[in-house]
Amino acid sequence: MGEQLAGPVRQRHSTTEIRVAPGDVAAVMRTLHDDPALRFRLLADLCGVDTGTVMQVVYHLWSEITPDWLRVIADGLDRDNPRASSVTFLWKGAEWAEREAYDMFGIIFEGNRDLRRIYMPPDYKSFPLRKDFLLPDDASRSPGLGVRHMEQAAAPAAAAAAPRRARAG
Amino acid sequence: MTADPRTRVRSLDDPQLFVETPATIYDAVPPYPPSTEREAEFYTLRDGEMLINLGPQHPSTHGVLRVVLKIDGERVVDLDPVLGYLHRGVEKICENSDWHMVVSHCDPLEYIAAMFSELVPVMAAEQLLDVTVPRRAEYIRVLACELNRIASHALFIGWLALDLGGLTPILYGFIERDEIVEMLAALTGQRLLFNYMRIGGVNGDLNHEFMSRLGDWMGHAARHVNDSQTLINENEIFVKRTRGLGRIDRETALRMCLTGPPLRATGVPYDVRRAHPYGVYPELEFEIPVREEGDSYARYMLHLDEIRQSIHIIDQVLHQMPDGPVTAKLPRLLRPRPGRAFAAIESPRGQYAVYAMSDGSDQPFRLRIHDPSYFNLQSVGLLTPGHLIADTMAIMASLDPIMGGVDK
Repeated sequence: MGEQLAGPVRQRHSTTEIRVAPGDVAAVMRTLHDDPALRFRLLADLCGVDTGTVMQVVYHLWSEITPDWLRVIADGLDRDNPRASSVTFLWKGAEWAEREAYDMFGIIFEGNRDLRRIYMPPDYKSFPLRKDFLLPDDASRSPGLGVRHMEQAAAPAAAAAAPRRARAG
Repeated sequence: MTADPRTRVRSLDDPQLFVETPATIYDAVPPYPPSTEREAEFYTLRDGEMLINLGPQHPSTHGVLRVVLKIDGERVVDLDPVLGYLHRGVEKICENSDWHMVVSHCDPLEYIAAMFSELVPVMAAEQLLDVTVPRRAEYIRVLACELNRIASHALFIGWLALDLGGLTPILYGFIERDEIVEMLAALTGQRLLFNYMRIGGVNGDLNHEFMSRLGDWMGHAARHVNDSQTLINENEIFVKRTRGLGRIDRETALRMCLTGPPLRATGVPYDVRRAHPYGVYPELEFEIPVREEGDSYARYMLHLDEIRQSIHIIDQVLHQMPDGPVTAKLPRLLRPRPGRAFAAIESPRGQYAVYAMSDGSDQPFRLRIHDPSYFNLQSVGLLTPGHLIADTMAIMASLDPIMGGVDK
């Protein structure tokens, strides 16, 4: 599994963080879940993140071998076509979490049988938690872009560059 | 000035929608072609099957939830929960407000147990800021949370019985809850949305009225639990309608990402207070009640056991409460270092977590709220098929979802 790590292993506040490429998610998760020395049986959280430059899918896992959280970041999803493999083959309960990430960020999880909008209406066009989805309040922070209509009919690829980019990494 | 109809954004508020398609938004069959494999499977009816809506304004859905039931006679074949009626976009709002404001935005999520939904973002912010919370504040947090847990569990018991057709337990549940809520109102000034937690501590120290109400309540708390136990534990109708209903085994429960009482009712002793200790819980002595059956009755019994443990915790907190300040000294405008933090607590419904990212500005870059109700509600689709329509409510009530948290 060490070969699949795409970044340094970091640790802070009893959370260990590893980064993997989006294509390796299924294999890494299967190892973490099934390996008798690891036994990460509990998916504590699954969420999408838009850093302004790339998309990420962040998983938090818990195992009975340690009280610490394990954070797995599927890093470097293309903002124009974010794709990651689904983990519903291990955790059926991740289905709604992936639906939420799809609804809010447009991340497509390959292998999820029910990837449709969950909060927003089915005919909704844009992805509200993306950084280029601006609320009227944002006008004060990004005066160059001004106030825009909240729901954009255009494809997200055509949207303007994100006004706020992550320094969080 | 009218927009070009081809480019106009269609929303469900659009009156044109009703002209073009006679279906209303509450029509069980969606007015668009199915977009996923599962949706196509669900909306294909076999002989004798029909679709029926439960909700969105149905008292047993605990908020505004619509469940499309596929039924064959009285039996539920399959169901499809439709969410989003209460969606307010709290995560987006939090990204546009500063760190102190996050507390009051997260407050109304789990409105039955608001102490928990405001504690988690605060803990995440403290991790990002590397703040040490004063010990007295930590003890007060535990005290407030455990009281809130009892209030929430008392209501759960009432609701479960109410959804099964029994009116009396909810009245007793509200008596219990009202006493605690009045007590917390004396402490925080609010009855429902307390807005009490602060980054680095709590809003105010314990006061005389709170302590006197607490002492009064502690005198009869254990007796009240026993009262509600004798009221429904042995009730034949209640037992017959909950025992063996909505049974789930531990492997499936883990696969379905269940946490909290539904998971512990299957025999998995996962409680964040012990699994990943936070606050002063390592210093307190309490058990994690576990049941093996995994059905609605086990979930109900588990709530009773947890109320007893919470009373036990409150007892210890009152004896061990140290003196000192209740807030850490922090600037008015917080700018945490860039980074990521994950904080989780055990709320009455399960693991409540917040994943926060900071980019060094005064606003969260990303604030992900993991609500246990959202993940627990999901298994209703797994537990209900094969049961009667009326049992759908009993199963849903035993999972105890709060739609404010589910829809965020």
